[in-house]
Amino acid sequence: MTTMMSISDMYVRFETPFGLLEAVRGVNLEIPAGASVGIVGESGSGKTVMSRAAMGLLSGSNVRREGKVVFNGRELTAMSKEEVRNQFGTGMAMIFQDPMTALNPVRRVGTQISESLRVRLGMDKKQAMQRSAELLSLVRIPDPEAMLRKFPYQLSGGMRQRVMIAIAISCNPELLFADEPTTALDVTVQAQILQLLSDLRRDLKMSMVLVTHDLGVVANHTDFVAVMYAGEIVEQASTTELFANMKMPYTRALLESIPNIEMKSGARLKVIEGRLPNPVDRPKGCGFVTRCTYAQQKCHDEHPPLVDAGNGHLYRCWYPLGHTIARKQ
Amino acid sequence: MRGSFWVQRFAQLLITVFCVTFGCSLLVQLLPVSPAEILLPVGSPEERELLTKEIGLDRGPIGYYLKWLGEFVQGDFGDIYYSGGTESVSSRLAVAFPRSIWLMIYTQVLSLAVAIPLGVWSAYRVGKRADKAISNTLFTLSSIPNFAIALILVLILGVRLQWLPTLDYQPYSAGIWEHFKHMIMPVVSLSVGLIAAYTRLLRADMIAALREDYILMAASKGLTDRRILWRHAFRPSSVTLFTSAALNMGALIGGAIVIETIFATYGVGFEVFAAISGRQYIALQSIVGLISIFYVVFNLIVDILAGYVDPRTRDRRVNA
Amino acid sequence: MRKRKYTIPTYFAFAWLGLAVFLAIFGSFLPVDGYQVIHGDFIDSPPLTPGHWFGVDSNGYDIFSGIINGARLSVFIAIVSVGLGGAIGALLGITAAYYRGRYDSFINSTFNVVLSVPNLVLALALVAVLATNVDINEAVPTWRRLVTLIISLTVVIIPILGRIARAATLAWSGREFVVAARSMGMRDRDIIKRHIVPNVLPALIAVGFLAVGVVIIAEASLSLLGVGIPDGASWGGMLARGRNDLEYNPHALYIPIIALAFTVISTNHVGDVLRGGLDRREGRL
Ligand code: SF4
Repeated sequence: MTTMMSISDMYVRFETPFGLLEAVRGVNLEIPAGASVGIVGESGSGKTVMSRAAMGLLSGSNVRREGKVVFNGRELTAMSKEEVRNQFGTGMAMIFQDPMTALNPVRRVGTQISESLRVRLGMDKKQAMQRSAELLSLVRIPDPEAMLRKFPYQLSGGMRQRVMIAIAISCNPELLFADEPTTALDVTVQAQILQLLSDLRRDLKMSMVLVTHDLGVVANHTDFVAVMYAGEIVEQASTTELFANMKMPYTRALLESIPNIEMKSGARLKVIEGRLPNPVDRPKGCGFVTRCTYAQQKCHDEHPPLVDAGNGHLYRCWYPLGHTIARKQ
Repeated sequence: MRGSFWVQRFAQLLITVFCVTFGCSLLVQLLPVSPAEILLPVGSPEERELLTKEIGLDRGPIGYYLKWLGEFVQGDFGDIYYSGGTESVSSRLAVAFPRSIWLMIYTQVLSLAVAIPLGVWSAYRVGKRADKAISNTLFTLSSIPNFAIALILVLILGVRLQWLPTLDYQPYSAGIWEHFKHMIMPVVSLSVGLIAAYTRLLRADMIAALREDYILMAASKGLTDRRILWRHAFRPSSVTLFTSAALNMGALIGGAIVIETIFATYGVGFEVFAAISGRQYIALQSIVGLISIFYVVFNLIVDILAGYVDPRTRDRRVNA
Repeated sequence: MRKRKYTIPTYFAFAWLGLAVFLAIFGSFLPVDGYQVIHGDFIDSPPLTPGHWFGVDSNGYDIFSGIINGARLSVFIAIVSVGLGGAIGALLGITAAYYRGRYDSFINSTFNVVLSVPNLVLALALVAVLATNVDINEAVPTWRRLVTLIISLTVVIIPILGRIARAATLAWSGREFVVAARSMGMRDRDIIKRHIVPNVLPALIAVGFLAVGVVIIAEASLSLLGVGIPDGASWGGMLARGRNDLEYNPHALYIPIIALAFTVISTNHVGDVLRGGLDRREGRL
């Protein structure tokens, strides 16, 4: 299998008035061509920053990015701003979390979709509009012609997200980043949008990075999973292996915090107690130590390395699940 | 629903016109002496009696106001009284209005033409050297009163270099260049403060807009920065700018008193001043009434335009 | 939170304003000439003439002493008008926002109507009415013109600061501690005194500095139009004289302009810095 994108030793730091904030700390990740990779973590775990940094979308004078990103055999991190820009749309595209804020409020849907087609593919206005309507029907929007003339505020959340997907796939990207594509939507619409994304990925032969806080989403829609915590990858495996053989206490905690439809209403959802460590001043041991039920003295003192269980299943824990022998009571 | 919004808005603005003109007419009642005495300092008691009747001063504050209002809506703006006779306010305004309108239009065009690129650029470079330089320069310039700028311009361009005439107004018919030559200094003096104010407004709104997700979205489409700035960020950021520009129009038409006096442009602002210092209360009331009508009209125009620039505002109105 | 450090321009602004206030209060005790003293031998002297640093104008008035005497009037008028206008505006704005209802709508719409009239037009109209004598041929004494001027400028300031006070009160009176104080049966007067005023005051002071600039400019404009202090002792009066003297004594014009501009730049700058500090304080809440 060829590699669509590989990220190596990525660090992202923000200069803030409170000190240097390290949002991403030494991430290595490969995205195989045609695969769907899930990146899972709580908000604040660095998953969104990581995906934006991978694409080269982080800007601002207070951002420091390190590391190497190779996309389609070419090193993105060595490219000029123009060259990176030329990868957008046709090479990579991104779907943002909240379609309300990610669509320009003062421009019509048709203008926003056809803009990429005209600017990036050089279509004329008529062609672009025609293609936009086709794209809208591709994302299963009824009456695409009428939709072209609407403003985003006139649409429902699900429709807006479909429009955003249409924009993202308009120039046939090879790699699609979907950053919490369903978080802002109703539960019933979420499933539809995820199914739509999976179908489009298959039909258009895209690779996809699905960023989410929801392990349930990952289970059904990805081939590989990377779990992020406090800016690092803490567990990584193929999706089947991960769910069969979970090693990180953190991943387990995430799994237990998934809302379940069958759960009796009123039943308390188990939330992960505690908070993420202060990103400016990280503790020296395991970042999860204050919240981990399995934590030992060693977890406080030493930072666990990312180790391979042998089958490509990586984890970052001194006392992984299923190795109870090593654990003192 | 939208209809009722416009009715409400219009009513609000009309009330403003009422209050301003009524306040004006109350000023007359505050005078320690009868206005007839002021208007006809050398007139006989009979003549004053006649004048008092003519302008409705014998009818009490409300009656006086209503009489003025009745005549005003019929287009009769009253007279200006001299020792020798009278002159109709309309004939004075026929001269003054076009001057003020040109002054206002040129000032707005110049201010916006400079402020828009500056505001967009400094928001794009926020925190960088260019942004700081622009902000600081404009801040300093805007603190200098416009008459000071006018006087310095007169000193340098008019008196020392003799490039531009320092006084008077010339209409278009006197030749375009003549017309502009007389407008340059007044327009520049009025524009400096506005450029600073407009740039500041636009910069703040642009900075907010550039933090929005839709800008990131636009960037992820592979658009150039220039296109993102102008096509995606400028339009949603420009509503406040144009609203405040419209609010300034009334002030520019009637409030450019000092500038019009310094350059002897003699527009509406000067007429206001002349009416006040000559105690021509009826003229004052009518001119102020006209200015506030302009204010109302510009306000409504901006409300309509804002709906086109930012369709969300249309929606908000429906909800309101 | 990093400690806020003032920059060099801010120190300059404070220093300049301190100097201006000092001159306004103690100017009359300084060993400078009254503004009407005529130096016949030095008429039209340029700046840096020994004994007359800033030069002398064509009337023979020494410009340095003119600036110092002018500071007394201009700064005094500005401080009094803003002080009075701020106090009245705050009273109206705070009570309006605190009690809401019809009283509030009345106050608020009055503010809006007055604000829709350009500053200078309002001030001019008030001056014209208030400075009218019963016997119209008798000249109005200087003290009365001064009082008139201050009243007019105060009226200009009231809605500007009143609206700020109202907005700030609206924002604060919904906060928990005010609601709590109310529910504990604290008297309105005390709530306003203890909880509202201390929180509204900083914003009011910040905008007050900007208002000082507005008043100084308005006073100078009125002087230029010939309806200010009649004997032209303020900076605006110097400007008006300097304007007629443009060709031969430009220093009679640009020196008062510099004094005026420095003062307004300083008040605006200080107002801005204070407001920036406030935004940061609000941001933390
Ligand atoms: S290293 Fe220790 S604290 Fe960290 S996840 Fe593993 S068991 Fe928990």
